[in-house]
Amino acid sequence: MKMFDKTAGFFKSLPKRINAIPKNISLKFSGAKEIIKQGNGKVSASMIVMGLGQMLYKQWAKGFMYLFIQIAFIVYFILTGGADLFGLFTLGQVESNAWYGVEGDNSVVMMLMGILAVFLIILYLFIYVANVKDAYRLQCTEDTLKQPIPFGKEVGELLDKSFYKTAMALPIIGVCVFSILPIVFMILIAFTNYGEPYIPPALIDWVGLENFKNILSLGQFAPTFFKIFGWNILWAVLSTAINYLAGLGLALLLNKKCVKGKAIWRSFPILAYAIPGFITLLGFKFMFSYGGPINYYIQQGGGEAIGFLGLDAKWTARFIGLGVNAWISIPSTMLLATGILSNINTDLYEAARVDGASSFKQFIKITLPYVLFATTPVLISQFIGNFNNFGIFYFLRGGLDMDGYFLASDTDLLINWLYRMSIDNNYYSIGAAISLIIFIITSIISLTVYVLSPSYKQEETFR
Amino acid sequence: MNIDKAKVVKAKTKKVLGVLITYCILVIVAFIFFFPCLWLILASFSKSGSIYSFDGFFPKEYGGEAFKALFTDTVMYHYPKWFLNTLFIASMSCIFGTLLTILTAYCMSRFRFKSRKAMMKTTLVLGMFPSFMGTIAVYLMMTQFNLINQHWGLILIYSAQAPMGYMVQKGFFDTIPYSIDEAARIDGASNFTVFVKFILPMSKPILVYTALTAFTWPWSDFILPKMLLIDKDLYTVAVGLMSLGETEFARFAAGSIFIAIPIIVLYFCLVKYMINGMAAGAVKE
Amino acid sequence: MANLSLKHIYKVYPNGAKAVNDFNMQIADKEFIVFVGPSGCGKSTTLRMIAGLEEITAGELKIGDTVVNGMEPKDRDIAMVFQNYALYPHMTIYENIAFGLRQRKIPDIKRDKKGNPVLDKKGKEIKIMRHYNKQELDAKVNEAAQILGITDYLKRKPKEMSGGQRQRVALGRAIVRQPKVMLLDEPLSNLDAKLRTQMRSEIVKLHKKLQTTFIYVTHDQVEAMTMGTRIVVMKDGFVKQIDTPKNLYKYPANKFVAGFIGTPQMNFFEGTLEKDGDKVHIDFKYSDAKITVPYSMLMKTTPQYLDGTKTVYIGFRAEDVTLDPDKVAESTAKIKMRISHSEELGTETLVYGDINMDGDGFAETSTRVIIKAGGFKEYSPDAICEAALDIDAIHLFDMDTEESIMPRIPEYNYLDCKVEKGKLSFLGNLVDLPPAIKIDDGNGEMLLPVSAVKFDGNIKGKVIDCEDINGQILVALEVNGGRLYALSDKVLGNGEVKIGIDFKQLILQVGKTEVQPMPTVNGLDGTFIMEKPIETITENEKTKKKKMPHYYLLVNGTKLEAPAEVYEKMFGATTGRKVYNSTYRYEWTPYDFKIADNGIEAQVIEVLDYGAEKFIKCSVGEETLYVLTDNTVSGVIKLVPDVSKVSVVESERQIRIV
Repeated sequence: MKMFDKTAGFFKSLPKRINAIPKNISLKFSGAKEIIKQGNGKVSASMIVMGLGQMLYKQWAKGFMYLFIQIAFIVYFILTGGADLFGLFTLGQVESNAWYGVEGDNSVVMMLMGILAVFLIILYLFIYVANVKDAYRLQCTEDTLKQPIPFGKEVGELLDKSFYKTAMALPIIGVCVFSILPIVFMILIAFTNYGEPYIPPALIDWVGLENFKNILSLGQFAPTFFKIFGWNILWAVLSTAINYLAGLGLALLLNKKCVKGKAIWRSFPILAYAIPGFITLLGFKFMFSYGGPINYYIQQGGGEAIGFLGLDAKWTARFIGLGVNAWISIPSTMLLATGILSNINTDLYEAARVDGASSFKQFIKITLPYVLFATTPVLISQFIGNFNNFGIFYFLRGGLDMDGYFLASDTDLLINWLYRMSIDNNYYSIGAAISLIIFIITSIISLTVYVLSPSYKQEETFR
Repeated sequence: MNIDKAKVVKAKTKKVLGVLITYCILVIVAFIFFFPCLWLILASFSKSGSIYSFDGFFPKEYGGEAFKALFTDTVMYHYPKWFLNTLFIASMSCIFGTLLTILTAYCMSRFRFKSRKAMMKTTLVLGMFPSFMGTIAVYLMMTQFNLINQHWGLILIYSAQAPMGYMVQKGFFDTIPYSIDEAARIDGASNFTVFVKFILPMSKPILVYTALTAFTWPWSDFILPKMLLIDKDLYTVAVGLMSLGETEFARFAAGSIFIAIPIIVLYFCLVKYMINGMAAGAVKE
Repeated sequence: MANLSLKHIYKVYPNGAKAVNDFNMQIADKEFIVFVGPSGCGKSTTLRMIAGLEEITAGELKIGDTVVNGMEPKDRDIAMVFQNYALYPHMTIYENIAFGLRQRKIPDIKRDKKGNPVLDKKGKEIKIMRHYNKQELDAKVNEAAQILGITDYLKRKPKEMSGGQRQRVALGRAIVRQPKVMLLDEPLSNLDAKLRTQMRSEIVKLHKKLQTTFIYVTHDQVEAMTMGTRIVVMKDGFVKQIDTPKNLYKYPANKFVAGFIGTPQMNFFEGTLEKDGDKVHIDFKYSDAKITVPYSMLMKTTPQYLDGTKTVYIGFRAEDVTLDPDKVAESTAKIKMRISHSEELGTETLVYGDINMDGDGFAETSTRVIIKAGGFKEYSPDAICEAALDIDAIHLFDMDTEESIMPRIPEYNYLDCKVEKGKLSFLGNLVDLPPAIKIDDGNGEMLLPVSAVKFDGNIKGKVIDCEDINGQILVALEVNGGRLYALSDKVLGNGEVKIGIDFKQLILQVGKTEVQPMPTVNGLDGTFIMEKPIETITENEKTKKKKMPHYYLLVNGTKLEAPAEVYEKMFGATTGRKVYNSTYRYEWTPYDFKIADNGIEAQVIEVLDYGAEKFIKCSVGEETLYVLTDNTVSGVIKLVPDVSKVSVVESERQIRIV
């Protein structure tokens, strides 16, 4: 919760922060200045050859470790790293030519390896700075007659004081490689012409803001984008509201004193919650299909089979989507609300009852503000989740192309569209640009909502 | 006196009416949530299998053929293999993912290191990116690492991405008083000991919650497996079932039930932990 | 079992906030020390620094003879009890208590399975470190459990126990390791009132039984008063007073302590004091109340406050004001008041009133009075009556600093005097004024600091009383019928002594001219540097050339080589190489300087001759220094201070290091 708070605060204080940047930078570099000015020969030695200073201070193991890292990095840089980094800028120069048997450059792979090289260089710089700092620290301990920490003890601390270093190493590497690197890749792709006809083995190039221009103004993409965008917002608001209110209502209903056998009643929604989402979605697709049971009863009643999810079923399909999404999402909101309701201080209700408040008033004055306060972050993440809800229409109505839409249908959300474009139809750079736009929209909306929300305004009231 | 009595009676009828309405709504809700499940169960016992040979929601003839076919007719659709594949991927991802998430959350809650705040902000912002486009990069990376068409590749991705959602767990750890750590430190325990011997045993609800979410995600995910698995024999159930047509509806239903049951059982056993874990994580930070 | 020594302990946060400020204390073995103060006063932070849970910014902390700064909590041989018990919820009580023991190793010799010592090749026992075995654990845990009466609960989990029992377990967990020091951080705050009283006496009992040093933190002054052998009262990071409960109550050093200790709170009035011959008029502000008391009762009051212009706080405890008609009739210090209401507490009645007839007696004002009277007496509201003040129990505090202006050791002797032809006469004695004091003839007053009365000289006096006040001995003297206080380092027997005056401390006022005492602290700003010249040294009978580090205080371009005890403390108070990048203020007394050929250049302003001693008043840069000298000098001199006697203050954070 505080995280949102801080982010909101961050954006608010942005002007102030920008003004403070020069000062902060000089503060940041004051440490570096001190090292450069006051570091002795051994520190300088570490600046040139990593670990040398440590060795001069007789910390052999650590020194060799740093030295090894430097050698390994140099070897890497010479062997592939340098070329990879260079490749990130050129994105390949040699076009493959099957006739002459030339194996050309694969721009996409080059970009990926280039990003990886940048990551590794940053990592190396980190270690390099740590190495210089460490040498300087040794100088400090010597100059102030303190006992240097033996390397063995420093390693031992990895299970104690620096346990976080041990524990966080793997998660950080994992997140960097599998979450951050792909996102960086995606952002970069948005500024290239990757996509038909520029697909490896063809060479890809940087194109600047071309893709964004295309999406927002060019004939082919712009109408589709704005149509889908409008529906996407409507969808996100409607589905979040429905799920949230219904989930809360259900939790309140089950929380009522008069309800006997709560566990049993609760088990039905949990059942729905537990079933993997794709099963539910496929099941519903079958249910509403032409030959499905609903149409069976309609035909039995003498009606014509309705294409609920067919080509011209714009609004029915949308409503079915909302309903199915509700079926899937309400139970989790209900569980969350149940947990939060059990945390409400019951004194509040007793006080309200003594004051003669009706149960409706109690709900409005106590329950709702409290739950809203406690669940705002969840509400926001649900909103983002719904905004990017890929599964619903992918399963219910996937793969339809419609008039007036470019590679999309009237129920598709932006995320479906970008999937269709990039994964199915190779418009990668356009897809990446769309995801950047989605990111900007979702972050602005969620931050605004958070800043306006009760949990932001009255942090302390319910504590 | 009379007026009072009337009031009491009125209040009573109101109350009874309220209870009645409550139960009505509950019955409707239960029906809405239960009926599709029931339908799937019934469908799985359909003899013919195609969705076109149903009397509405109900199969014309009942029989266990679908289940039998599921496990015996493995030429086209090797369901048992898919099931084991899914189980393997989900369990492994669950173990590693939970471990990494819990470690991250513990460190974020208990240590104050330099880049901590920057990291928290970064994860928050990263969470707002549609993870979608990234999958292309992931795909390319996996080809580079030669992990395409391999289960370990999937496990790697699921486990490595799990720590991003550490906030709920951190919220839970924040509720464990600091003085316990301090008391243990005075007693001579290192931070590692504190984590293993104190924090972990005290965090059962959140462990269960984390493990469950870390298990169900790969269990029911279809995007990554669809992209990274090529051989039909390596498919997970989600990908496999998606390749079934409308004529194989009974088999789809049977397969679905089979894959849903373990999760449903887990959820029902652990619902209490779930509620506690979710609430703790939500209310605090 | 150990004594503790805290010297110049500071806790400064990176943002510059000081949680603990110059904490100094010596704690003897087996003492029960209570840190008390309102929340945020730094008491818990101090405790946590002793425990090692919080880093010490500057200062030296010793447990026993070891400096423990930077040592891990587990290595300090301390145990701590937390406010929320901090029991391990998933472990049984037995495991909770045993955990600390299990983590520890004890020295032993190697034994075979039968318990016989295994000998090495030379036939000696082999020393090893091993964990406690089951029997030892059982014995220790049971012993601790028995002391605290929780033997029956050992198999339970903490959540199955009540608050009081849990606190016992927490205590058990602490005592089982037999630590040198027990630290208790508000251990009773989570208990209800009745249980708290009970546990209070149990902890005192435990202290008696264990014979260990206890340090106990609380915000409850009743707990502090009933439990501590000595109490440290803190506020806003500063130590306000350290004393025994009795002295804290009787002689509060400042208004904060006076108000904090004791219920009901001390009555504080505002008023002025005016000395008129041997009488002092006390005029209460916002009221018509005025009393006159003999000066002899207020002898210890700092004289500057007796001129009738400075407003001071006048404090009386509720039991030192009485409404008892007999006592009021006898008393000379009567004030009129209006009773507003009373609270009957059984054994006593608290009567609330106001010495301002318009005051309501409820709000805490500087005219409100609370009086402790005997039980079950009727006091009619709005009655106007007279109350008697016990002047012997008066407390006086400065308005701004809130420090006591009537300290147990008075600052000055306040005397009438006369200057005539370079001679000073007071109390019937005539002494020569030294040349340094230049003043016109006339009648005037003198303030003779108690520390300026020396026990050598030719003034005859008589010791009439000696009082040991926290290690300092206050001697009451009679000189020609007048009263004089002096400080001594040993107890003197009653009888004749000869005394003299240290003129450099004297304040003298004759007519409009005033003589100020000579400052005794010479402060100079400077830095700290290191140099590493190559030196030839002999090591293992070999001569080698080696870089040898030398550490210097750099003052006005002069390098003063620092001795180890100085630079080690300076290193200890800083991180990294900050010590070389900070400015410091170095302070010396006038006695710590020598005049030499090389040193700090100083311009002599004048030479002050105080008779027995001569001082040079000189300037170094913008600072003025006073330096002891034997002969008269002039012009530019070079001063070499004694570096081993320096005291050091870090300028940036205002931290006293040495």
